[in-house]
Formats: sequence, structure tokens, C-alpha cells
Amino acid sequence: MTEPHGVWVYAVGDDIATGRIEHLTGVGGGAVRGISAYGLTAVAGDVPLAEFGESALRRNLEDLAWLEATARAHHHVIDALGQRASLVPMRLATVYASDDGVAAMLDERAADFRAALSRISSRQEWGVKAYAAQPPERGGLAASAPARSSGAAARPGAAYLQRRRDELSSRSQARSDLLASAETIHARLSGLAAEVRLHAPQAPQLTGVRAQMILNAAYLVDDERSGEFADAVAALAREHPAARLELTGPWPPYSFAGTPERSPPCE
Amino acid sequence: MSDQHSAYHEVQPHRPGPVEGTATDEHRRARTMERIALVDLLDRVLAGGVVVAGEITLSIADVDMVTISLRALVTSVSALAESGADVRELAR
Amino acid sequence: MTSPAGEQDTPTRRHRIDADPESVEKGLVSLVLTVVELLRQLMERQALRRVDDGTLSDEQIERIGSTLMALESRMGELREHFGLDPEDLNLDLGPLGPLLPYD
Repeated sequence: MTEPHGVWVYAVGDDIATGRIEHLTGVGGGAVRGISAYGLTAVAGDVPLAEFGESALRRNLEDLAWLEATARAHHHVIDALGQRASLVPMRLATVYASDDGVAAMLDERAADFRAALSRISSRQEWGVKAYAAQPPERGGLAASAPARSSGAAARPGAAYLQRRRDELSSRSQARSDLLASAETIHARLSGLAAEVRLHAPQAPQLTGVRAQMILNAAYLVDDERSGEFADAVAALAREHPAARLELTGPWPPYSFAGTPERSPPCE
Repeated sequence: MSDQHSAYHEVQPHRPGPVEGTATDEHRRARTMERIALVDLLDRVLAGGVVVAGEITLSIADVDMVTISLRALVTSVSALAESGADVRELAR
Repeated sequence: MTSPAGEQDTPTRRHRIDADPESVEKGLVSLVLTVVELLRQLMERQALRRVDDGTLSDEQIERIGSTLMALESRMGELREHFGLDPEDLNLDLGPLGPLLPYD
């Protein structure tokens, strides 16, 4: 007795380039196969509805352990196959009732997929995050400039205000220098990329990093410029010691899969 | 929660080139994958990628899906911080 | 959260805020101290502006400065008493960023 299954879609590629799908292990431990229609191939796999049906998905997505395992399995398939061919990644949890549903989707979105494929062809996504290099200094009474006049001891209150003024203005300067660095870094890296996505900085509660995040961006870079891009990140890190840079990649082009002109349709 | 780091941190980017599909490539990819930070991965697979209406795709708004799942991550990160674990290591 | 990942919770339980009395109290204290800290910082900036405007006598400057200095010292004591780090005194307003500046 076979349990009810749905079809999980990982990514869509060009029919000719994608070729034979390797034997990979996908989401839910299942095998990976291709569904071809209209010159496109959807990379897909069967998943049990008991775990991947709509209500099960809602429940499981809030279970971090399940979410992590599923996200990594989804990414693994896309990343492995993406080494050989341009693939447009699908968002996590795109599930169809049957292969026919997948084929119908390919028909409906063929133009979008072709446009996306040509935009990402021979390019990879790189992520750059920048943080303030120093965790924030705390405490107004940090050891700072000594008393400015011999009268300071006689007027400790006034001396305190002077100290606070100096601290606030130097912090304010440091902050605007940091933001200027972020802009410079982003501008330089954007010059090396075909497309750019700027994301909101992430809160410390999410990253687990105390220092302020000043840049969170994704860059779509031509394959042959990847080395130049990584070198530029290293150079920028040296040129901007007040910022700590993190480079991740290469990624499949998750951030560049949608069409720039249109928002994703909701049906 | 210490924030120790070097001035420049790079997560193993591999130089592009013809992919042979050899055992070495798979092995290296597997190692790289383990080191991908969960927050970076979830950001991409939950908020990136093409959105289509699958027949069983969640009908709740995309924002809800990201919020719910990221809330699970934030909660876990906070819980780990309270327990004194190095949250960045465990989030990888 | 008191329940470790993997435990079989009913779905509703995951959404509940941790109701442990000790952490609730700590959360309230953080909130109160955050507001006080915000006010302290605002008052300090206000005082500095007035000093720069030249609208205060030396005596007034000295009195305001001493008061603010004592207030900052007291805030530090309160934080330590409740076992809070300076970073705990902040509120994330989402798109608006944190309530208090990072530094």
C-alpha cells in the first residue's frame, strides 16, 4: 500500500542543458527526477503528503529541526545540479499534486523561466554582510580623556558633561564613518555584479552577533569575475578596518530568481 | 556570547570551472554545505526563489511563512544563548 | 523557551511566551530600565544642547552635570543588581531599528 504523495519542485532548468538528473537524495529522503515539458525541465521529487501536505507543512515549518533538515536537503539538490546547468531555484515548499500539475505550471510560466534563465546564465550569487568591527562600547564612564582643566575636580558635574559631549561626538563620527564605509563597499561590489539585491540588515537576535550589521547584500556575478569579486571583498576589508566583512557563496541564484519588473503572482 | 572573529572571514568559496562530478567535488560540496550558516540558508530558501502557486503550496502569505520560520530560529538562538552555547557555531 | 527542540509539544504551545515567573520579571525589569535609560540619554543630550546654547549659568551646569553623573552611576548599579548587560536594555522596533542607538 503506497501512501499518498505530492511532487516537490526544487528548481527549473533548460531542457537541453539539464540533461540526465543524477541520483541524488532530496527532501524527505526521496529520489530526484526530472519532469520535462515545453523545453523546460523541473527538478522534482515525490514527497509523502503526511509530512508535506498543506497542514503538515504549516506544522513542520515551525519545527526548526525539521525546517533545517528540509532546507538543507532542498539546497543540496539545487546546489549539486546547479554546478552543471543554470537552474532557477524554487522557493521552499512548492508542492504539486501530480506531475501533470508541474507540467501545467511549466507551460504557464515558461516565459518567466526563460527570462530568468538567461539572466542567471553563467553567473553565481555571492552574499556579503558587513558588521561594525568592534562590538559597541558601553558605559558612559569609560576611561576617556583626562580632565581638561585644573578646575575639573572642583566642578565634576561640568567635567562629566564635557566628557559625555566628547564621547557622543566621537561615537557619532564613528557611526557616520561606518555607514560611509558600507556605502563605498556596496558601490564597489555593485560595479562588479550584473545584478544586486540589497536586503535589510538583520537584528542581533537573529544573527547571534552583537555588533551592528551595516550591509546585507546579494550580488549576481559573472562566473569569470568570481575571483575578481572575492579579491575585491578582501581588498575592501583591508581598506575599511572599522567594518568586518563576511563573504558567502557561491550560491544558486535564490535572490535573483524572480523577475525584477514584476512581483511574484499570487494565485 | 562572545563575538570573536578575524578582520575578514570567508566561507570557502570555490573557484568556478568545469565541474567533473568527481568524488572530490561531491566531498568538498558536502563539507561546504555543512558550514553554511542556517540563517543565511533560510533567508534564501524562504524569501528567495521563484514563487508559484503549487497545488499544495501554503496558501498563507509569503511574509507569514518567513516570519513563522524565522521566529522559530530566533527563539532557538535565544534559548541557546541563555544556555551559554556558542550560538553561531550551532547555527551553522 | 523551556522546552528543547524535538519534544512533542502541542502546536499551540510553541506560540506561547515563556511564562516562567523569573524570566517574566526579568523581562519587565529590562523594559522599565530600557525606558529609564532612554530618558537618561535624552536628558543628557538636552543638557548638552542647553550648555552649548549658553543659556545656563556655571552653577546650573555643575548641578545638572552632577545629577546626570549620579543618574548614570545609579543606572549601572540597577543593571548589575538585576544581572543585565547594557545590550539587554534595548528594544527592537523591527523596521524602525532598535530603540536605543547601538553605541
